[in-house]
Amino acid sequence: MKSFFRMTYPYILWIAVFIVAPMVMIALYALTRSGNSMLTFQFTLENFAKFLSDPTFMRVLWTSLRIALLTTVFCILIGYPAALFISNMSERKQTMMVLLLTLPMWINMLLKTYAWRGILLNFDLESETKVFIGMVYDFLPYMIIQIHTSISKMDRNLLIASYDLGANKWKTFLKVTLPLSVPGIISGITLVFLPAVSSFVIPKLLGGGDYVLIGNLIEIYFLQAGDWNFGSAISLIMALIIIASMYLTRRMDRNGQEA
Amino acid sequence: MKKILSLILTLCLAAGLISAAVAEDYDPVKEFGSNVLNVYNWGEYIDKDVISRFEKEYKVKVNYSLFSSNEEMYVKLQSGASYDVIVPSDYMIERLIREEKLQAIDKTVVTNLDQLLPEVMGLSYDPDNTYSVPYLWQNFGIVYDTTKIDPETVEEKGWDIFLDPQYAGHAYMYDSQRDSFMMGFKALGYSANTENEEEIQAAYNWLREVDKAVKPAYVTDEVIDAMANGEKWMAVVYSGDAAYILSENEDMGFCAPKQGTNVAYDAMVIPANASNPKLANVFINYVIDYENALAISEEVGYASPNAQVLEELSGPDGDYEGNAAYLPRTGYEKDEVYHDNQTLMTELAELWIKVMLHE
Repeated sequence: MKSFFRMTYPYILWIAVFIVAPMVMIALYALTRSGNSMLTFQFTLENFAKFLSDPTFMRVLWTSLRIALLTTVFCILIGYPAALFISNMSERKQTMMVLLLTLPMWINMLLKTYAWRGILLNFDLESETKVFIGMVYDFLPYMIIQIHTSISKMDRNLLIASYDLGANKWKTFLKVTLPLSVPGIISGITLVFLPAVSSFVIPKLLGGGDYVLIGNLIEIYFLQAGDWNFGSAISLIMALIIIASMYLTRRMDRNGQEA
Repeated sequence: MKKILSLILTLCLAAGLISAAVAEDYDPVKEFGSNVLNVYNWGEYIDKDVISRFEKEYKVKVNYSLFSSNEEMYVKLQSGASYDVIVPSDYMIERLIREEKLQAIDKTVVTNLDQLLPEVMGLSYDPDNTYSVPYLWQNFGIVYDTTKIDPETVEEKGWDIFLDPQYAGHAYMYDSQRDSFMMGFKALGYSANTENEEEIQAAYNWLREVDKAVKPAYVTDEVIDAMANGEKWMAVVYSGDAAYILSENEDMGFCAPKQGTNVAYDAMVIPANASNPKLANVFINYVIDYENALAISEEVGYASPNAQVLEELSGPDGDYEGNAAYLPRTGYEKDEVYHDNQTLMTELAELWIKVMLHE
């Protein structure tokens, strides 16, 4: 075992250099006041106070969470029946269907979003609806694949046993299939909600300039306003929200499995 | 036999002469220290042939990279990236000079400076052109559909046309805090560089009025194609882009508002950490030379700093003859160049988010 552990060293080094170190720098920027020299640190919480006390920022945060949540819910509503449908097919057809589902992922997201922009240009929709359509389209495959994996792993004999004991199709779904596919839904939620809440390319391209989500706000503060400290503070708040939501989904997963 | 021999001899001699002419002791590495030049410029801002001609003529390799905003360029430079020639805008050059990030232009090499217009030289961001050589220039103004809006109305109202509710849903604004606030400052008769808190608040309210009155779409570069297609009636754009719009769609007109506007200059500079400053000076001199300046301005549509080029392109039979947007307005005392001011930029960015979010 010990000799295998050594093989993780490169990965640990990778994490330290490319994930931990930047996070520490972001935290450092977030907790300090702007000055031209890196050497004079002035610790302060004013960046966080500014974010939390301004109704505009809170509204942007709320919009981001709302649209991410809505995207996730719609991905489950569309993705679950699709995954169920696919897992009832023959083995060969299933492989084909999964391949077809992942096909759009081979194309760069930016290109797909530009294509959507061209399509949606012809419709008179609210910015939020356009962004929502773009997000559901982009993230749906992640949800379907996760749910499909957990359903197809399920032992088919359980269904036969359920029918044997007199349960009808609907009851079998509710009592057997659904509970056993919860882990798939949970990892689907993680894969959809997290990128959706911090997405900034889709709202920028589909929503137009007056549709600002938290990711766009961070971009504005880094590039247009040149206030790296406040930009870092928003990034850190985002990171905390993401960590909290991951923790919550994990707990849901554990509770689900215990039940 | 004799004939063949003499022919061979002649050929050898000729070959020797030719190879001598090409080599002629010229070695870019010996001459400049390196045969590589790193150029960092705006996207869609050059005629690519100028680069390849330069490469051939001087037997060097040009690495040409692109940025889309001054701030992006600054961040890249700050992170330690080394370039030999970059093309920032006026206020950014002012900042780079102040932070001692540039090195002086070698005027014994850049001898084509005398081809440039006096109007583009000695501006406030670099009064003696110690560090910068103008690349292209332009001013900010209104592009409008002459079949929908009377040119006289635009000339008469200037920026205030954006307060007229009869154009609701037919206007584009540019998603840039600096340019949008400049509209407000100028419409209210203030300086584009004001730091006065009351004036900033007044301009903020002016922009909120615009948001309510014409319900503009806030866009960036997509405005160019949209106006060329005539999708809306009016838009604020830089004259270089307007020149393109006007050449694509003859219904469109351009107006530099009477209340004054911003005149913007992009100029070539050599960063202090450049690895090949000698070749950089040669390149700068090459770019402003008549033939190359002509190719660039023709391709991009922004005004050239080269006097002869500007006259030719806007004159009879020029590519931009009769194009109201090609030639920027000069000598108008209400027009201003932006100054560098980081705290102001941050404050305006914050207010601008609120304008766009209809607060």
